[in-house]
Amino acid sequence: MNRAFALEIARLSGEHVVLVAVSVALAALIAIPLGIACTRREAIGRPALRIVDAIQTIPSLALFGFLIPLPFVGGIGAKTAIVALVLYALLPILRTTVTGIRGVDSVVREVGVAMGMTPRQLLVEVELPLAAPSILVGIRIATVTGIGLATIAALIGGGGLGTLIFRGVAMVDARLLLAGSLPAALLALIADFGISRVERRLSAPPSRDTRV
Amino acid sequence: MSRAGVAVILGFVVAACARETRPVVVGSKNFTESVLLGELVAQTLESAGCSTERRLNLGGTLVCDKAIESGAVDVYVEYSGTALTAILARPVSSDSKRVTAIVREAYAARGLAWGPALGFDNTFAMLVRKSDSQRLHLATIGDLRKVALEFRPGFGYEFTERPDGWTGLQRAYGFELAQRPVAMDLGLTYRALAAGEVDLIAGNSTDGLIESLGLVVLQDDRAYFPPYEAAIVTAGAIDAKCPGARAALDSLAGRIDDAAMRRLNFEVDGRKRDVGLVVEEFRRSVGTQTPKRR
Repeated sequence: MNRAFALEIARLSGEHVVLVAVSVALAALIAIPLGIACTRREAIGRPALRIVDAIQTIPSLALFGFLIPLPFVGGIGAKTAIVALVLYALLPILRTTVTGIRGVDSVVREVGVAMGMTPRQLLVEVELPLAAPSILVGIRIATVTGIGLATIAALIGGGGLGTLIFRGVAMVDARLLLAGSLPAALLALIADFGISRVERRLSAPPSRDTRV
Repeated sequence: MSRAGVAVILGFVVAACARETRPVVVGSKNFTESVLLGELVAQTLESAGCSTERRLNLGGTLVCDKAIESGAVDVYVEYSGTALTAILARPVSSDSKRVTAIVREAYAARGLAWGPALGFDNTFAMLVRKSDSQRLHLATIGDLRKVALEFRPGFGYEFTERPDGWTGLQRAYGFELAQRPVAMDLGLTYRALAAGEVDLIAGNSTDGLIESLGLVVLQDDRAYFPPYEAAIVTAGAIDAKCPGARAALDSLAGRIDDAAMRRLNFEVDGRKRDVGLVVEEFRRSVGTQTPKRR
């Protein structure tokens, strides 16, 4: 493998990481507050979950077809790719946020109320910490599937490892296909491992030990 | 009844079935135009009294070729340029008469007949918006040199990557656009062009979207693109299966020009109409439909 090709793989891997990181971060910023709102009001919860479910079933090419003519979010390139990736990442994060908060033991919640906690305090100090492992599972799923999914960015000139894969498909070149898929698989493994470490920390019982 | 008697009767039955009802197998590739042409061939054969079996939507070129070579398919529509380069692995040529002659001879050597040409050429087409074409006076590919600085091209991966794609085209015409092409999904390039995200795309000359999206094909006045004339390929076995088949297929020669093919593609891709109905309508309109004799 020559140097220029190695550099290109590295550059596209970098683009790939950016696509996934930005889209999962944005999806989390939307889905976690939305998930909280869902547990507060059924009138938001039901339709929101339905819509996010429905988005998941739209094939990526069709979604891009819709997005290209739209102002602001549309067009071609990485921006539109990120919009699509955000939409696809909403489902796991929203679902696990709702499940996590709903799963908080009602006794724990009542204790909080009895201690005079405001709803806000209850959320920030009781519900969210207890739901955190569940939410993190959602982010983990969104990230790992996102790494595979982000190859679709190459369908609209958005860069990333999909570029190599689609080039490989067009040119019937197995070398290019591997150069695109192997780094993506590797990234997925790394991300999965990294997030699982964070997860383990969060789900460990809070230590009262003051010794270092 | 003796066992021998049963065997003899069974033998007759099998032989009779094999002779009488072996249908002509019609193949096609897995894209709209090919399926339409497969349906056209099948309906034409049926009007001539042949029984047919449709094997439409077979993978790609190589699947169809292997199928007809092995006798699993008796007839399908192939493009001259594709046969030359993808199947016969010969060098590209932009001389359409020569391409047809080479392909016909090579197919004959394989026991296949390169049959009547349908009349259209599904080659690459450089497409621009009609408004740009009028405003900037773009009629030929060479005219692109006028907009070399500002035009943004967007192509499918194949056209972007292949040396006989964009790179070769610019060399043949002696111009170079300042901006590198955006590589993207081929189908989405049409939408990107219509939405004004790119200014130049490479599509197919018979694509139904050309008219419906208001696009213009730039003339390939230096004949850079090789010809992809559609022709009916038949295997020798077709005569035994249906004696009238060849004459019926010959009646399709030259019946579909580029514009007609675009319209047919648009009926199916754009209007989402049923392939069978679209083909029936077309056959009625050009008068190739004869009463069914079954």
